Amino acid sequence: MRIPCPYCGARDAHEFAYLGDATLTRPDPAAADAADRFHDYVYLRDNPAGRHQEWWYHANGCRQWLRLTRDTRTHAIEAAEPARRDATQADMPGAAS
Amino acid sequence: MADRSPHDPLAGIAFDRVPPAGAYGVTGEPGIVVSTAEEPFIALVAARNGFGASVAERLGRAFGGPGLDRPHAGFGSGSTVVGIGPGRFLVLSRAEADLPGTLRAVLGTEAAITGQSDAFVLFDLSGARVPDLLAKGAPVDLDPRVFPVGDAATTLVAHIGATLWRSGETGWRVLVARSFEASFTRFLLGAGAEYGLRLEGRG
Repeated sequence: MRIPCPYCGARDAHEFAYLGDATLTRPDPAAADAADRFHDYVYLRDNPAGRHQEWWYHANGCRQWLRLTRDTRTHAIEAAEPARRDATQADMPGAAS
Repeated sequence: MADRSPHDPLAGIAFDRVPPAGAYGVTGEPGIVVSTAEEPFIALVAARNGFGASVAERLGRAFGGPGLDRPHAGFGSGSTVVGIGPGRFLVLSRAEADLPGTLRAVLGTEAAITGQSDAFVLFDLSGARVPDLLAKGAPVDLDPRVFPVGDAATTLVAHIGATLWRSGETGWRVLVARSFEASFTRFLLGAGAEYGLRLEGRG
């Protein structure tokens, strides 16, 4: 699988490290059901067949985190955007304005 | 220096020592010449949030190149600026002994600057067969048709983290962490033996 890094261009997946689901939000630790929510947040993962948003780290390249939209059945990559956006990245392809 | 066996160019060389200068692989005119290059002063520039484009432009004006925040190597007289990540640049210089000081004067508070002269070894590879050699180790398309002079890539070469760029029609440079010098040189000799490789001595 080749991943289209917004800075480096298309690179082999073995340059990257995979983190996982990019749609999770850390729960509020002060909530009454915080223990249950954290259990879900830390351990429980969906295993979707199809579109999946996920974090990848370009460890052996530009050392930036990417948010990738990938089809888990075909490995087709729909979008790759930098996880961190600021003015230094505004003119990069794939960066949202 | 003695010529070495084309069948096993590394025979008899301790794996943890930088191999000696000499001719390796097939005999005759070498397809590849390797030396450690003479731009010994190196610094890392990391632009502060929002200053990537401005830092790139200032570096281009002061040290050469187009001044863009891209994986690209810009060449000045005795200096090189290489983009290694968004807002991240390596600046190499032949003569600026106080490179961090010069960079601070150029960039002010727009970037964090770290001297890295001791961190890397800069390999200078020349010859028509260099892309064939590097293709054995780098998972990047280095064909001269798609990787023009000035293109740069931070990637792996033979599983060793490296920043490489094309410095001329048949000239390439590879920056490798200093502790990998022996391993990386062994890769060059093994992979380059079939083209004939001359390793020049340290200057």
